[in-house]
Amino acid sequence: MSGPQIARRALLGTALAAPFAHPSLAQATDPYVIGTLFPMSGPNAEYGTLFTNGAALAIEHARADNMLRRPMRIQAEDTQALPQQGVIGMTKLVNVDKAHYVLVGFTAVSKAVAPVADRAKTIAVNGGAVGPDLSGLSPYFWNVIPLAHLETQAFIPFLMGRNLKRIALVYVDDPLGDAILGLLRTELPKAGGELVGSFSVPRTAQQFGPVAARVRQSRPDAVYIASFGAQQAQIIKGMRDNGIRVPLVGYSALSIPTVTAMPEAEGVIFTSQKFDYTGGSEVTRRFATDFKAKYGSDPGTYNANYYNAVRLFALLAKELEAEGAEVNGENLRRTLLRVREFDLVGGKATFDDKGDMSAEIQVNEIRGGRVVPIA
Amino acid sequence: MLFLQLLLQGLQTGALYALTAAGFALIFGATRIFHFAHGATFAIAGYVFLYFWNAGQPWPGALAAIAAAVVFGLGMERFVYRPIQRHEGSFFTVFVAAFGVAVVVQNLIGMIAGRGFASVDTPLSMANEVLPDVFLAPIFWIAIAVAIVLFVALSAFLTRTHAGVGLRALAQNPDLLRAYGLSSNRLSMLAFALGSAMAAPAAILTAMTTGLNEAVGHHVMLISMAATIVGGVGSLRGAALAGLMLGVAESVALQFVDTQWAEGVSFLVLFAFIIFRPSGIFGVAQTR
Repeated sequence: MSGPQIARRALLGTALAAPFAHPSLAQATDPYVIGTLFPMSGPNAEYGTLFTNGAALAIEHARADNMLRRPMRIQAEDTQALPQQGVIGMTKLVNVDKAHYVLVGFTAVSKAVAPVADRAKTIAVNGGAVGPDLSGLSPYFWNVIPLAHLETQAFIPFLMGRNLKRIALVYVDDPLGDAILGLLRTELPKAGGELVGSFSVPRTAQQFGPVAARVRQSRPDAVYIASFGAQQAQIIKGMRDNGIRVPLVGYSALSIPTVTAMPEAEGVIFTSQKFDYTGGSEVTRRFATDFKAKYGSDPGTYNANYYNAVRLFALLAKELEAEGAEVNGENLRRTLLRVREFDLVGGKATFDDKGDMSAEIQVNEIRGGRVVPIA
Repeated sequence: MLFLQLLLQGLQTGALYALTAAGFALIFGATRIFHFAHGATFAIAGYVFLYFWNAGQPWPGALAAIAAAVVFGLGMERFVYRPIQRHEGSFFTVFVAAFGVAVVVQNLIGMIAGRGFASVDTPLSMANEVLPDVFLAPIFWIAIAVAIVLFVALSAFLTRTHAGVGLRALAQNPDLLRAYGLSSNRLSMLAFALGSAMAAPAAILTAMTTGLNEAVGHHVMLISMAATIVGGVGSLRGAALAGLMLGVAESVALQFVDTQWAEGVSFLVLFAFIIFRPSGIFGVAQTR
């Protein structure tokens, strides 16, 4: 065997082995993996698109601003808004894709994936689910959306002020629906109201004429809808088509475009977190302007929440890069608790010890296909 | 009055279930192909109608919906099921192929028409108080009338025409059919065309009442399968009657049970039939 042949083989072998011998060299340019556990198919797929749009814009902005030394990339897993699919997706994200940070939505999915996030010490951030028991699920599970108890606390006095005291609840049979039922059951009487009927529907239910008949019998002043996705739109149509003329009310899930565009949704009143896109901070105005330019529509609550979730990661990772520390769940959490206040869409956001972001709540009404803040 | 209200709503829902289930039963009864993509046929017809409705063309939209359903059904028969059967594919192979197509159609609808809820905005679905505390929409009468007319027409076709008798014969003895000079392939295509066309009116009426989403086909398939089993496998009138019965059962049940159990009642009926009368309402018990 001649000398040059050995040299070529040695060179080739060294080149192939280099990334393994010095993993830091390979990692230095590897992107940060932002996992997403969103419904990308099925009756709740509309949310997946809304969530992803907000996250993608935040990545674009971070790249444009050269916030981080390494790029970010989204690794999507379709949950279909089902907890089983969520756990499968989360397990793959942490074990196979080595996700640095995971975005999640929907109460049932969030509750299912939180233990996996806890075991893997990988941060999971919710920007779409509002079940009140999502607070404090794990040190590695954060919320960038005000949870349902904050929405109902703000909403019940508003309803009483409008003399809407007898409330009937149509709620989906899942942890979110059960949580809203519990809140209305305890909070309405304290404010002088009454839960005159509660009507649970399975997640797969599509016929709401018979439910409307039962709702009508309870003689409510308003009907609170606690569902999401295509089903909440079907409930609204089912109620209106079947003679329910009293106000329909609900929570932030009603802010999706297909609901606001429905003629039957005219006058629907719901709560959401407060955003002022016209005034407010530079971050907020840039988000609103660029979102409209990129997607051709005004941003909604969910777009902003998942933008904030990714921006929060970029801000935390920037701090860690400056320290020379590894970007992992433990260090992200340590930095969150040290910094606490961040410049996000909507203004200065503050996080508590549980990783929950505080936010103001506003009451909205759907008028002419648009969401109009009314209180 | 609640009972009357629930009964009327159950009849409306049941009429739509009956139309869809009868289409599935016709295909399954004649060809013994478990056409799981029947739900996809329903979704395609609904969205085609929606497209034309939004363009201000409801009547051409209805015709286009029927045409789209028939073309899809024929395409499945010609390009999916027939090649599988040519290679003597098992029942399970057919099921998996149909399931795969249904998933692809669902995703295509999501990509083309959007992933949210979609419905037709029409005064026909707006109920008015016809009796104290009883609300009825004009679409109730349309659903009942469409179901009756189509079943009468289909029954006449199956019993009084050469092709109709051939379809019934196809289910019983395809080999003998060939001996009489009839083409089982052509009759199979006829079964798919008719069965798929039956889904279109139900899809149009569903777009007007409960609305559509990309996953609407799965629910339709569940009901169609349940109705086919309850009605008696291979029996068209059995599937239609069972569809009507399931619609009424899931609505009237709310007089007695919590709203949570509405869908569960349909499947309780199904279980009851499987246990106590496995051959269904009009099915013939098989001996081995």
